[in-house]
Amino acid sequence: MERGRRYSKRRRLNGVEGSSRSDSGSPDELGASPPHQDRNGSICRYGTAEPRGRSYPNSMSDRDSPDELGNATPFYPELESEQDDHSEGNSPQRSSRSSTTTPIDTPTDTPKETTPIPSPRKIQYAPYAQKMVLKGHRRGVAFSARIWDTNSGKCLHVLEGHLAGISTLAWSPDSRTIASGSDDKSIRLWDVATGKSYPHPLRGHHNYVSTIAFSPKGNMLVSGSYDEAVFLWDIRTGRIMRSLPAHSDPVGGVDFIRDGTLIVSCAGDGLIRIWDTMTGQCLRTLVHEDNAPVQSVRFSPNGRYVLAWTLDGCVRLWDYVEGRCVKTYQGHANEKYGLSGAFGIYGDVGRERERPGGIVKAYVVSGSEDGGILWWDVVSKEVLQRIDGHEGAVLGVDTWEGEHGLVVSCGLDKTVRIWERTEQAAEPSDGDHQPNGTGSFE
Amino acid sequence: MNTSLVDPFVLAQDYPESLTGQLKSGHSTCVRFNRKGDFLASGRADGTIVIWDMETSGVARKLRGHTRHVQSLSWSRDSRYLLSSSQDWKCVLWDLKDGAKMRTVRFEAPVYIAEMHPYNHHLFVASIFEDQPVLVDISAPVPVKRQLPSAPKRSRLDGEDISEKQAAQDAKQTTCITIFTALGDHIVAGTSKGWLNVIETGSCKIIYSTRICSNGFIILLRLTNSGRDMVANCSDRVIRTIHVTDLLQPSVNHDDIKLEVEHKFQDVVNRLSWNHVAFSATGEYVTASTYMNHDIYLWERGHGSLVKILEGPKEELGVVEWHPTRPFLVACGLVDGGIYLFTINTPQRWSALAPDFAEVEENVEYIEREDEFDIHPIEEIQKRRLDLEDEIVDVLSVQPTKTEFDEEAFRMPVLLDIVDSDSEEEIVAVGPGTMRRRSPGEGKEWMNGAQSIESGDERGMRRPAVANGSAAVPSRVRKR
Repeated sequence: MERGRRYSKRRRLNGVEGSSRSDSGSPDELGASPPHQDRNGSICRYGTAEPRGRSYPNSMSDRDSPDELGNATPFYPELESEQDDHSEGNSPQRSSRSSTTTPIDTPTDTPKETTPIPSPRKIQYAPYAQKMVLKGHRRGVAFSARIWDTNSGKCLHVLEGHLAGISTLAWSPDSRTIASGSDDKSIRLWDVATGKSYPHPLRGHHNYVSTIAFSPKGNMLVSGSYDEAVFLWDIRTGRIMRSLPAHSDPVGGVDFIRDGTLIVSCAGDGLIRIWDTMTGQCLRTLVHEDNAPVQSVRFSPNGRYVLAWTLDGCVRLWDYVEGRCVKTYQGHANEKYGLSGAFGIYGDVGRERERPGGIVKAYVVSGSEDGGILWWDVVSKEVLQRIDGHEGAVLGVDTWEGEHGLVVSCGLDKTVRIWERTEQAAEPSDGDHQPNGTGSFE
Repeated sequence: MNTSLVDPFVLAQDYPESLTGQLKSGHSTCVRFNRKGDFLASGRADGTIVIWDMETSGVARKLRGHTRHVQSLSWSRDSRYLLSSSQDWKCVLWDLKDGAKMRTVRFEAPVYIAEMHPYNHHLFVASIFEDQPVLVDISAPVPVKRQLPSAPKRSRLDGEDISEKQAAQDAKQTTCITIFTALGDHIVAGTSKGWLNVIETGSCKIIYSTRICSNGFIILLRLTNSGRDMVANCSDRVIRTIHVTDLLQPSVNHDDIKLEVEHKFQDVVNRLSWNHVAFSATGEYVTASTYMNHDIYLWERGHGSLVKILEGPKEELGVVEWHPTRPFLVACGLVDGGIYLFTINTPQRWSALAPDFAEVEENVEYIEREDEFDIHPIEEIQKRRLDLEDEIVDVLSVQPTKTEFDEEAFRMPVLLDIVDSDSEEEIVAVGPGTMRRRSPGEGKEWMNGAQSIESGDERGMRRPAVANGSAAVPSRVRKR
């Protein structure tokens, strides 16, 4: 029980993801451009858990958390200066488009010149560099989420309506709707075009909504909550289709498989459960021997594997059919917060015409509590790149495979940062880089 | 993608077992699944068409335009267009992208059945009450109707013998049902004298005729999903399955066509007649709803034997429809107009909830391994475990499965308007002009039933070992 409490205080900004979260319904589209690419590519969304002065009893981490300065205080005078960033935070991003590696914000935010990884193979990993910083989230002002234009860095809409902090967001597959799960126990649906909320929030959870995901068709929503249940919603009517008696601790993450037939959920009890969407039955339970709390979970783009973040500092890839862990990714710090990340691809992405038969490899990207963002190769488990992206923990990372391959991250420093693939590594000259065993660059 | 995890015994079951649910929106008169089976269109007695999302069991869209009883529905291949025919003498082609009427075609009489061409949604064939069937081209706003013949083509041998009387009789025949073959090159028509006519779509000429039923008319014809077989419901209380593979050859010689009856299904004891017939997903089974009876009969086609009588609800069932991929049957009630769902009840396997346990038939003596309780340093175990993770994993490439369709060009938009997605039964009038929503769960007793099963699962999950403790063997290997 001790452990169950400790992680329970977490700021789960699940899925700060540009658009690929919305694609996650059909993650096979990572490579192929989805039909609604323009929409996806140009809008990014970020939810804030703004005045989350929530503290859970016995929560050790409350005190040392940089974010919990005043529990349940609606306004934080000491942080007021942050608001000043709001106005200028939007403008300087434009210049950043000219040079992708130029620091736009403070120099500490920028990754140092990243050197491409020496690669004896053909596959080149193009490191990511910062494209822009999105600021504007303020504490103690409103419980809002924001939609950003990833090209200009403009905030398009502020989604206001929740009565408490927002822990999780999800794009609908057609990118017309955003769903947000909040600590006011409700889930709201928002029209992306107008930024307005639909009139009937989805109510039914008995505690904070911690995670939501859209089905690939956009007709269902799965949500996980601190009430330890997973609900399946018919979003047309806002009706609970099914309540899955899922876990015995707060649910950390949920996801749909690419064809919508399976749901995965994970929770602080250390279990990852696979559910049949149609019948609502549990088909498989995955548990690691250490039973560490699982805070976030995702299906692989092809739906064959499940990627799970646990609070023992590991990201694990599970073969859920055989029920065993096939890969463990380490190197980041994850003890306290529910981090989330994503799959992405590198190699000959988008250059099919130039290089027929080019190899596309997959990476896993995740944030870290020490402010880093890490890229791992899925197969070799090597760290491909590490960026010190944020001050404070990086809570959510998501990817979008567009023209430049965007990665977006958010962290406790109340910024959203967008990273894009640098082009110099696309055609690397072999003499330039020294061999480096770990492959991590700083 | 859930098939790899589902109990193989459940997957092996290929026909539904019992009545498991109901959908209700008005009085449904006909239902039709789309090709993928994720949407079910149902036509109502008041002329409204309701599109059900089978994943959520909720209403995805409502199409209003007909004023009378909807007679038949027909989906286009990509599930974007829906053709409906109604007793208000009209056929309407709907675009499900925005729910608009694309074309409306008026006839001089009520339409029995209108069926869309399998590849061209601008072409349909309609059989009309006491009139000749028509092939309608609606590519232009003004429909082009071409009348199809009903008089059967007599083969040349007895061609000389056609008497005046016979010719006069032939002229009196009308066509009760017309359907396209799987490729759309031919139309199969069933007449009021029990003849099957094969009509070439291009020339509108009968190229082959055969009489399958000598004393009755043909009520209904249905094809399997593959289009190789056809089932005919005739008024002589016999259901016939017919091989139509001859019509699938690209260049078939008209003289070589031969449609043969494969099986005849009937109820010899009770002499039941059949309201409606359908093939199963694979064509392996034939199902029929019974006249003046509440049951659904299921025959297996391999041996031609009756395999199951599904006990229906407390009303006679009309239209039956089989899901295109799953063992899932849908039937319309004739009295209340509810849509009844017949599926398989799958019990929750408790071992899925507790990975440490396996379900075994009888108790197994557990043999401890030599090194099972050896103590190793944790670091060593972890290192060894990490070193073992050297396999190549592929998280990107997608293996195509049978149930997935590539041509997923059209996706029906999800309407978040609560009025469009309400099944209407949930609106309760409180007073004049004031309505309230029915409280959740009210009138959905079958869902509550499902809920109680789930809560039973919950109990089983919390204490998996107790749930079936008699035959539990820990399969997990302890390494410490």
